[in-house]
Amino acid sequence: MKLLITGLNHKTAPVEVRERLAFDHSSLAAALRDLTAQPGLAEGLILSTCNRVEVAVTAENGAEPGPLVEEFLAENRQMDRGWIAPYLYRHEDEEAIRHLFRVAASLDSMVVGEPQILGQLKAAYAAAKAQGAVSGWLEIILMRAFGVAKRVRSETGIGESAVSVGSAAVELAREIFGTLADKKVMVLGAGKMSELAARHLRRSGARIYVTNRTHGRAQAMAELFQGVIVEYDRFLSVLPEIDILIASSGAPFYILRKDQMRQVIEARRNRPVFLIDIAVPRNIDPAINEIEHVFLYDIDDLQRVVESNVDERRKRAEQAERIIADELARTLARLKAREVAPTIVSLQEQLEQVRLAEIARQRARLGQLTPQQEEALEAITRGILNKVAHGPISELRRQAGQPGGLHIIDTIRRVFRLDG
Amino acid sequence: MHEMSVLWLRVAAGLYSLGLLNAILMVLHRRVRLFRIALGAFTAGALLQLVSIVEQTAVSGHFPANNFFESASLCAFLSAALFLFVYWRYRLESLSVFIFPLVFLLTLVSVLGSPAPSSWGGAGVRDAWLVAHVTLVLVGYAALLITAVAAVAYLLRERQLKRKVPHPHTDRLPALGTLDELISRGMTLGFVFITLAVIAGSTWASIEAGTRWIGDARIVISLATWGIYLVMVFLRVSAGWRGRKAAIMVLTVLGCSALTWAAHTSLRALFT
Repeated sequence: MKLLITGLNHKTAPVEVRERLAFDHSSLAAALRDLTAQPGLAEGLILSTCNRVEVAVTAENGAEPGPLVEEFLAENRQMDRGWIAPYLYRHEDEEAIRHLFRVAASLDSMVVGEPQILGQLKAAYAAAKAQGAVSGWLEIILMRAFGVAKRVRSETGIGESAVSVGSAAVELAREIFGTLADKKVMVLGAGKMSELAARHLRRSGARIYVTNRTHGRAQAMAELFQGVIVEYDRFLSVLPEIDILIASSGAPFYILRKDQMRQVIEARRNRPVFLIDIAVPRNIDPAINEIEHVFLYDIDDLQRVVESNVDERRKRAEQAERIIADELARTLARLKAREVAPTIVSLQEQLEQVRLAEIARQRARLGQLTPQQEEALEAITRGILNKVAHGPISELRRQAGQPGGLHIIDTIRRVFRLDG
Repeated sequence: MHEMSVLWLRVAAGLYSLGLLNAILMVLHRRVRLFRIALGAFTAGALLQLVSIVEQTAVSGHFPANNFFESASLCAFLSAALFLFVYWRYRLESLSVFIFPLVFLLTLVSVLGSPAPSSWGGAGVRDAWLVAHVTLVLVGYAALLITAVAAVAYLLRERQLKRKVPHPHTDRLPALGTLDELISRGMTLGFVFITLAVIAGSTWASIEAGTRWIGDARIVISLATWGIYLVMVFLRVSAGWRGRKAAIMVLTVLGCSALTWAAHTSLRALFT
C-alpha cells in the first residue's frame, strides 16, 4: 500500500493560488467521489483551509498516484496542470505520515500551535468518511494523527500562550483580573486592533463601553459589541468604573496624564486597572505605569510579550518534533506488521493443509493407532512444520518495511506457492 | 463597680455586639442592610453606657477612671460618641468597620473587670471557654497564614506584570484578581475567628483570675495584635489597601500573632 499527500500551503503558494485551489464545503462531497473513482486509488481525503489545500490518497502497490492526483486537482478546479505544478509538494509513505502528524499537531501552521487546524482535519476526515472515501490505511493513519496532536498539545503545552497582539492583551487581562466576566472595557478611538481585542474580551463576558471624538464612529462600534456609548468629553469621569481601557485614538498628544490617573485609581480604591495603549503616537503617558495597581502596556510591550511567547513556542515545537518522530516509528512498525500479517497467516495455513493431507494419505498404512500414538504423530508432524516455518516467518517479520522488504515477501510467497 | 452600673454595661456590650456583627458582614459582603439596625443598637448601647458611667460616678462619688476597666468603659463610650457625631455630620459609614469592633471589645473588657457570675466558676465551663479560645485562635491563624501566602504571591505577580516580561515561574501563579479575592476572604475569616477567640480568651481569663489578668504583658500583646488586625481590616475595606501595603500589613499581623503565640506557650501557668 502506498500513501501520497499532494498539496500546497502558505509557504509554497501565495493566496491568489490558494484561493483558486480551495474546495468549499458544498463541492467537497462530489470532489471526494471523483477522487476515489480514479483508477488505482483506494482511499482519499481532501483538507482545504485558508492556508492549505492537501489531497491524501492511498494506492495499491505498483500504482503511480502522483500524476493522477495532480490531474484530478487541475480538472476539478478547472485550471492548467502546468500552472499549479510549481506550487505543489508531494510526500510519500513515511514522509507523508510525518507530514500529516505535523499538520495535525499544528507544527506546519502559519501560527505554530494554533488550535483550529486539528478541528479542520477532523472535519475533512468526517466528510471523507461520509463518502466512504476512507476505510483502511488512511483511516488508521488519521486516527494516529489525531492522537499525536492530542499528545503534543498536552505534553508540550504548545498552544497555551498568546501569539497575537489581540490575544496577548486578553491573556494579560486574564492574568490581572482572573475572570473577565462583567469586567468593564472601554474602547477609546477606532481601529482594527482595538476592535479585535474588544471582540476577544466581549467573548469572555466583558461589557464594552465605547467613546470616540466622532459620535457616528462611536455608534458604529457600540452596535458591533452591543456596547454603551460614553460621550467623549465625559470619558474621564467614567474611567474609575472601567477595568480595562483600550486606547487607539489618533490624538497627537496624551489624553490621559499621570495626575489624572492618580485620581482615577484613588476613586477605584486601588482596584487594579489595565490600560492598553495601541495608538501611535501614544495616547497614554507612559509614566502612568509607575502608579501602583496600574498596568500600562503599549504596542511594543504587547509585541514583546508575543515575541517571547513565539520563542517559547519554538522551543516547544522542537519537543513536539521529537514526539512526532517517536510516534512515527511506532506507527510504521504497526503498519509494517499489518503488511506482512496476511503472508504469515497464509503460510501457516498452507503448511497445515499439507500436513493434514499427508497424514490422511498415510492413514491406511498406519492402521489402528492408540491415542498415545495419535498424539505422538501430531507432535512429530507439527514440530517439523513449525521448525520449517520458523525461518521464513521470522525473516518476514524482520524484513517488514525494510527497503527491499517487498521483494523478500514476494519471494517467500512464490517459494511456498501462497498465491494459488 | 456598682451592681446596676455593671448591669447597664453588660446590656450595652450586648447591643454593641450587633455592631461587631455588622462590621464582620460588611467586610464579608461589602454591602449590608443590617447597618441601620446596628447603628440603632450602637446608639442605644452608647446611651446605656453613659447611664452606667453616670451611675458609677454618683455611687462612688468620683470620676470613674479609677482603674483600667473603668477607663476602658469610658474610652469605649467616648469613641462611640465621637463616631456618632462624625457619622451624623459626614455619613462616614465605612468608619464603623473600625469603631464597632473596637468599642465592643473595650466594653467587653470593662464588663470583665467585674466578677463573673459565680455559676461560671465550674471547672467544665472554664475548660469550655479555654478550648473554644484555642480552637478559634488556631483556625484564625490558619486563615491568616493563607492570607499572608496569597499576599506575597500577589506581590510577585504584580511585579512581574509591571515589568512586562513573562516569567515561567510567576506565570503559574493565580491571576491577580484571584489572589486579591483570596486575601479578602482569608483576612475576613481570620478576623472573625480571632475576634471570637479574643472574646472567649478574655472571658476565660476574667473567670480564672478576676481582675488581675489585664495587667499581664502577654494579654496586652494579644489585645494589641487584635488591634493591629482591626486596623488592617479597616484600611482594606475603607481605603482598599492592596499590593505592597497590604502584604506588609498582613506580614506584620502574622508576626504579631506569632509573638502572641510564643507568649502563650504555657497558658495554664499564666495565672498560677
